[in-house]
Amino acid sequence: MARQMRRKKQFAFGAPGEANAIDYKNIEMLSEFVTETGKIVPSRITGTSAKHQRQLTNAIKRARYIALVPFCDAHE
Amino acid sequence: MRHYEIVFLVHPDQSSQVPAMIDRYRATIEGASGAIHRLEDWGRRHLAYPIKKLQKAHYVLMNIECDQATLAELESSFRFNDAVLRSMTLVRKTAMTEASVIATETAEQSTYAEKPAAATEEASAKETAKETAKEEVVSDAKSDSE
Repeated sequence: MARQMRRKKQFAFGAPGEANAIDYKNIEMLSEFVTETGKIVPSRITGTSAKHQRQLTNAIKRARYIALVPFCDAHE
Repeated sequence: MRHYEIVFLVHPDQSSQVPAMIDRYRATIEGASGAIHRLEDWGRRHLAYPIKKLQKAHYVLMNIECDQATLAELESSFRFNDAVLRSMTLVRKTAMTEASVIATETAEQSTYAEKPAAATEEASAKETAKETAKEEVVSDAKSDSE
């Protein structure tokens, strides 16, 4: 029951080029799937499908590499 | 010929060199019969974490179509250029031409930045106008006393 209650409404991802597309440049959208400490939130919490979760993790890791998104909250 | 998306971060002190660097890369790409489909200058952005003890960097995004030899040349030029802090190359299936989210954001911010500056200018112009008006009044009073 508790697990069901934690589940959020599914996020509507857009096609490539749209505002909600999964892309490493779309920081605002990615921040929905990252905790305050910078960790990627598991799909069992967010309700994201496996396909989209794979795309999301790739996008977040790319955004981290070019310093658009922090790796953690302990940076200087 | 494949489609690539390149993002590179330039040292903020070398920001003024960015247009020259872009021209050089354009020459190498177009010299090898490649094409630049999208070129975005995001300007100086705050980094999410410090890189080489820097808090800011100048971001440039390029969507290009070129052969592998040209890409290798570009990547080696990034590697041996001290001004380039970091670069990322991705393979894309198609040429991306629409403005990215960050580009539209930065464009909006720059327009916002311009507006308040114009407003303050107007305000200062008004103030100076008031001052001149006051001076006129004072001079009138002086002439009356005489």
